[in-house]
Amino acid sequence: MNTVLEVKDLCKTYIVNKRQNNVMRNVSFSVNEGEMVGIMGPSGSGKSTLLYTVSGMDKITAGEVFFSGNNMSALRQNELAKIRLEDMGFIFQQMYMMKNLSVLDNIILPAVKSSKKKESNRNIERRGRELMKRLGIAEIADNDINEVSGGQLQRACICRSMINDPKIIFADEPTGSLNRTSSEEVMDELEKLNANGTTMMIVTHDVKVAARCSRVLFIVDGNIKGEYNTDSEKNTRDRERRLNNWLMEMGW
Amino acid sequence: MADYYILSQKRNGEDTVEELLKNSENAKSYRKDDVIFTYKDNFKRGGEKIMEYSHVSMVQSLSNSDFNFFDENNNVIKKVEKGKMYITGSLPKRSGLQVGDKFTLKIGEINMQFEFAGSLKDALFGSEMIGNPRMLVSEEDFKIIANDDYVKQYYSGGVYYIETDDLYKLQSETADAENVYFAIDNETVKFTYFMNMLIAVIILIVSIGLIVVSFAVLRFTIGFTIAEEFREIGVMKAVGLKNNSIRLLYLAKYFCIAFVGAVVGYFLNIPFGKMLIKSVSENMVLENQNSAVIGVLCCIAVVLVILFFSWNSTGKIKKLSPIDAVRSGQTGERFHKKSILHLGKTRLNSTAFLAINDVLSQPKQFSVITAIFTICTVFVMVLSVTANTLSSKNLISVMSITESDVYYPDTQRAMEIMTGAKTERETEKEIADILAQNNMPGTVYMEANYKFPVTVNGRKYNMDFIKCRDTNTTDYTYTEGSPPMYENEIALSEAMAEKMDIEIGDTLTINIDGKESDFIMTATFQTFLSTGYIGRLHQTLEIPDHLIIGMMSYQINFDDDPDEKTIAARVEKLKDIFQSENIYGTQEYIDNVTGVSDTIKSVRDLVLLISLIVIILIAILMERSFISKEKAEIALMKAIGLKNGAIMVQHTGRFLISVILAQIIAAALCVPLLKLLIDPVFSSLGATAGIEYQFNALEQFAIYPLIITATVAVSVFLTAVYLRTIKASDTANIE
Repeated sequence: MNTVLEVKDLCKTYIVNKRQNNVMRNVSFSVNEGEMVGIMGPSGSGKSTLLYTVSGMDKITAGEVFFSGNNMSALRQNELAKIRLEDMGFIFQQMYMMKNLSVLDNIILPAVKSSKKKESNRNIERRGRELMKRLGIAEIADNDINEVSGGQLQRACICRSMINDPKIIFADEPTGSLNRTSSEEVMDELEKLNANGTTMMIVTHDVKVAARCSRVLFIVDGNIKGEYNTDSEKNTRDRERRLNNWLMEMGW
Repeated sequence: MADYYILSQKRNGEDTVEELLKNSENAKSYRKDDVIFTYKDNFKRGGEKIMEYSHVSMVQSLSNSDFNFFDENNNVIKKVEKGKMYITGSLPKRSGLQVGDKFTLKIGEINMQFEFAGSLKDALFGSEMIGNPRMLVSEEDFKIIANDDYVKQYYSGGVYYIETDDLYKLQSETADAENVYFAIDNETVKFTYFMNMLIAVIILIVSIGLIVVSFAVLRFTIGFTIAEEFREIGVMKAVGLKNNSIRLLYLAKYFCIAFVGAVVGYFLNIPFGKMLIKSVSENMVLENQNSAVIGVLCCIAVVLVILFFSWNSTGKIKKLSPIDAVRSGQTGERFHKKSILHLGKTRLNSTAFLAINDVLSQPKQFSVITAIFTICTVFVMVLSVTANTLSSKNLISVMSITESDVYYPDTQRAMEIMTGAKTERETEKEIADILAQNNMPGTVYMEANYKFPVTVNGRKYNMDFIKCRDTNTTDYTYTEGSPPMYENEIALSEAMAEKMDIEIGDTLTINIDGKESDFIMTATFQTFLSTGYIGRLHQTLEIPDHLIIGMMSYQINFDDDPDEKTIAARVEKLKDIFQSENIYGTQEYIDNVTGVSDTIKSVRDLVLLISLIVIILIAILMERSFISKEKAEIALMKAIGLKNGAIMVQHTGRFLISVILAQIIAAALCVPLLKLLIDPVFSSLGATAGIEYQFNALEQFAIYPLIITATVAVSVFLTAVYLRTIKASDTANIE
């Protein structure tokens, strides 16, 4: 299997009031094509920082990050922006959307901006509507973002992350703001995406979400303390239970 | 000051005005300043003229007058030392005279050396509109000049300051006086400062406009700030603070800011106020009176206005609930307006789409910005058109002259006609001969000014007239009626006809050189001459030359009908030939006669500068506030892969839409505002039927809008650079 993301000795340090705060310490791991990797850890352990640094949204202090063979730390801001636009998708805990655009326009904005595929705006709109239909939110296409529920909005965010057929989707607590039913619906959609070949990296606190991932990395104080492979268990309940046990062993 | 003023010249040493006043029942009292009439050629340095002016000037002694004269620092001049001379108005400045400069006064047998002592503020003769400079010398020097026989015979006269209880009767009574240069009442004297007042009023209006703009920006800034602090407000409510307690907290905060601003503003106001007053009071005594009290009152007013805005803006606090603190301001209300544009259906570039969509989605905010840009632009446009009009050929008709190639106001030759030394025709021939000798033959003519007693419906007036022997009355523009066709027909200015309460077809009796004749009024016209009160006589009416009291200028039409470039070259050549700077092409002449187009241009430039400063401040302030408000969206756009440059262009684009819209609105408002604001000004000057404004499309609708648009674009773009500090990863931190 091809490696989509390779992280070598990643370090991230913040200087606050002349005090050095090492958030990531020599983190190394890789993500293969088609994988769904969960990142777990206590609050402040560096989960989100890891996600943002490996996706090129934030600069790394040391180490190397390779995405599809490109050394991300060697790229300029505009080159990183192009990669994020065309090859990566993002889902955030807060359902960020442009407030002056309709739900559909928010979804298709990355495609309109992208030069990856030479297609008309009408075609992009058609693709956007198809995606929304797939995720069961076709009826809210022309609504404003204030007119839809949190679950619908998060599914719209998933549509937006998919619109440019990315190689990988980064999700930071995608179900953090949702109730249990909505969470499960959203995770069902992400699982379907993954089943169709989209690589995923998901930061979560939720064992139920992590249990759906093929691999879970547990981070403590900026280090990967352990790695758990969930693929051996087919039964969902068993996967959750075993993962829970492993997490407890890790000090969760 | 007095109620009525007469400037008259003695004829053969005799003063008819004084005799008349002595026996007058209507003159309660009067006093007289003896003056000696001079003209620009009397003042020389090394054989060269030191000043250029078109009309007669007067030399008098300070001790001979009870009138108060002020120096440049608004101090009363109490003494003029022997050998020194003060000169009125802006003439010394225009002529480049410096205090201490030495020159000679040569008149009759007198040849005296003088030193320029400084500029003089003179309420009666200080205005540019009067155009007769007054020079103050010592009593000793004045006696030497006045005792010269030639001066006594031809150049002496007096300024009379008359007190009366019945101005109308006094005017009628003195209407028969001979050799009167001008006779004006106090109201007319005040009117002569109209242009100075106008500039002061323009600066005042512009300042008020800019203050309104500043308050509008302030109101929005306070509103934005409070809206952005919903979380803090929500938390305060959650911990139990009451609405009023929270509002008082904000009031206290803005009071501190306003207080500091007011203290700084108070101290800055002193030099700034002096600068503004100086810019409008070159010829007037204007003091920054009670500046300390007024300054403090203004500061208190500003603080109160800011507190009012704060109180008003904090009204939103009532609507915010503790839930806002935990729901990030999302109340669940369906308040948002539906998008009008759709990205999938547009042919626009995505950045342009986002900019337009933002403007349409936030109409209130962008309307305010557009309104501010419109106000700034329209001020500049209106002043620009006014300045252009004041120096344009469009004013030829209201100057009551015909257009010619060259204009040459020559006071020396005018004086020769008035003293009887030469006839009008002789002076015209002299000039024509000089032209022919220099290979630019042409015809020379002049508009002669007269002052005659007029009787209408039993009332007497001392009225100004204009006549040109070499043009036809049909060459001029009239607002009503037909041009005078016979020598017993006359056209009156609209203001004069209204003053006399007569209409076309009525008869008036004019006393010309002791002989009374009836004239039929056939037409009315509008004019800037004699503050709008004048009559035009038919070209064939014979009037002795010695009754001429002045002239507009010698007008020259070259025989070979040269183009403008050749005329301009000849004007320069004629300046050398006649050794005078007072030779003009049409536009320069109008510029010179109106005298304020340069000042209006300076005011326009000042307004442009102030407007640009306001525009820059607004652009920076609003864009900074937008960035702060839209931090989450900016981070999101970066996270999904939009480049910094595209977001900066989108932000700049939003303001560009506003400013372009403002330019269109300003262009549409320009003409109505000219009619509303500037028409009354020209009407007061005599153009009662309105004026044809001189538009320079390139200047008003291209250059200034481009300057303003470019300023907005650059200011916003540079401010938008700040959004580079927002990182894509901030999506994790923004709530």
